[in-house]
Amino acid sequence: MNSSLALVLERTDIRRGDAFAVAPAPTLATGFARLDAELPGGGWPRGALTELLTEHGGISGIGELGLLLPALAALTGAGQAVVLIAPPYCAHAPAWAAAGIRLDCLRLVFPSRPRDALWAAVEALRCGGVAATLLWLDALFRAQLPANSLRRLHVAAGEGGGGAFCFRPARLAAAASPAPLRLQLQAQDIGGRLQVKILKRRGPPARQDILLDIARPAGFLQSVPHAVAGAVLPDIRRRNRVAA
Amino acid sequence: MLWLALYCPTSDGETASLPEASATRPTTLPTPALACWAGRFTPHVNLAPDALRLEIAGSLRLFGGLPALLDLVREDLAAMDLSAQLAVAATPLAALWLARAGSGNANEVICPDLPATRAALAAVPLAALQLPPPLARRLEGFGLRRIGDVLALPRAGLGARLGKPFLIDLARALGEIADPQPWFVFPEHFEQGLELPAPVEAAPVLLFAARRLIAALAGWLAPRNAAVRAIECLIDHGHGVTTAVPLAFSAPVYAPQRIERVLKERLDALTLSAPALALRLRVQEAEPREDRSHALFDGGEQRHEALAELMDRLAARLGPQAVQGLACHADHRPELASRASRGPSPRHAPAPSLPPRPLWLVEPPEALRESHGRPQRAGPLALVAGPERIESGWWDGLDARRDYFVAVDNEHRWLWIFRDSRPPGGWFLHGWFA
Repeated sequence: MNSSLALVLERTDIRRGDAFAVAPAPTLATGFARLDAELPGGGWPRGALTELLTEHGGISGIGELGLLLPALAALTGAGQAVVLIAPPYCAHAPAWAAAGIRLDCLRLVFPSRPRDALWAAVEALRCGGVAATLLWLDALFRAQLPANSLRRLHVAAGEGGGGAFCFRPARLAAAASPAPLRLQLQAQDIGGRLQVKILKRRGPPARQDILLDIARPAGFLQSVPHAVAGAVLPDIRRRNRVAA
Repeated sequence: MLWLALYCPTSDGETASLPEASATRPTTLPTPALACWAGRFTPHVNLAPDALRLEIAGSLRLFGGLPALLDLVREDLAAMDLSAQLAVAATPLAALWLARAGSGNANEVICPDLPATRAALAAVPLAALQLPPPLARRLEGFGLRRIGDVLALPRAGLGARLGKPFLIDLARALGEIADPQPWFVFPEHFEQGLELPAPVEAAPVLLFAARRLIAALAGWLAPRNAAVRAIECLIDHGHGVTTAVPLAFSAPVYAPQRIERVLKERLDALTLSAPALALRLRVQEAEPREDRSHALFDGGEQRHEALAELMDRLAARLGPQAVQGLACHADHRPELASRASRGPSPRHAPAPSLPPRPLWLVEPPEALRESHGRPQRAGPLALVAGPERIESGWWDGLDARRDYFVAVDNEHRWLWIFRDSRPPGGWFLHGWFA
């Protein structure tokens, strides 16, 4: 190989198409070995924006937070702060505590105007004292985030060096984004597993989707769940009648 | 004893070059606020009509020597947009005279001991003494221009011709007799204000003026080893109209930069109802500083500080209710089991082991359609766990009797729904297992 070419290849900001990029900062273990194996650096990137795309405008109930919970629990367990910006609903403290999150390390920010939300997001990402920031910005912007906002968020994350997770609607999967890691999440029919499709990563394109076992509130889900409902409901009705 | 004099010339000819800054630049006379700022360096401050004198012999070690201390003083003066002539001498009067005689940073006279002071005094022109005009004329008549010329003459004869007070002043400046100074008494409650030289229309511009008051506050806090949780900034519009801008901090603060950044967020968001004429800073209550050891490797302390500052700034701009913590509360009703907490929530006791709870709570619960005895939400919902009866609250009027289920919809989203057992009944969506 040409010696000057070899020199170029030694640089950390240059990567070959068939290899993972060298992560600029130590990554954050996701808690899912199969996902870690597919991510450059072996975990959630720090100091870079990560996009998580789901149906229903990024506010879904398919387990998109469950994907982050092991990493967040590890961070807060070490006394590091996690900030939620513009969460879609009220956070239910007992559930977060049960997921292993230390509540005193959790901060929620509820901006009312889109401009404030973006400002708060950039400030939180830039702050060195925040280990992970979770963003739900699209709901505040009627159409969608202004084009340069994502780049601002990405740059701010680089300054702060914490994890930056932006929940976004799945219809933006084809849109261009400066985020170096983009995952599309879908619920799977059988078993309540979460299907993770890697849309973009600093490395070779992912060959196939990853299936993850996310912590679910109930046991194994039957393929025909209506039967369960039918079995339970009359039973309760009967009990109520007795009580009355 | 070592004295640092800050001589503030009353003529502000050089400010004319900066018209923008001079609009917000208050008068340069030493004020009690400036004396408060000096408390940062030493508790022994003397406030004279045209100068501020600090006794700094005891502070040298703390600040790492005289040059380091002077650098800090210059830095602060520049940040406050104040111009003052510095001089250091072994006696208070010599420091004042040397400061008056000096011109510009290059000509600063720094005399760390008495012999150097005496040597430097010889070159000071007599005009710097600001003698009464008849005395000054007589000295000029003798052909004396500098202190050195006076000292060359026999003292006894001088006393007979020029009077005792002049001789005593000379002896004090030379350190031959003691020269006790009245100390500035730091106020018990901090409330300092300043008049703006011109009415200010835009709130963010006030920050420049506020910097001096914040520096004064930091200096006032330093000798008390105190910190503040709340500051009130009062903007005076004249005619008795004031705008109060309360600043609240999640943790006690004492660093001027931090106070300034939070004030900046408030001022940026503020629209003045009328031009501002004066500014005032008030502290209701100071509390002792919590000093913690710094970690050598971890950096956890800095992270903690950075987070607290971020939260203060977010709260200052978005409103205090927009920034929340989260805490568990012992109640069976889900809507009461989780509470927003202002400020850092205490490390709570572990939550009792409950059946699964959703991360997001839909508040108020969303009513669901029911068809064929099954709850519907864009198609029928499948119940996969439950029921869990939650019945509580008969004592406070928020009585609830509900049967909770974990449900999954057509799109495999996990819901937490309940059926109200009390009339009129019906199904409700109460949470999302995200």
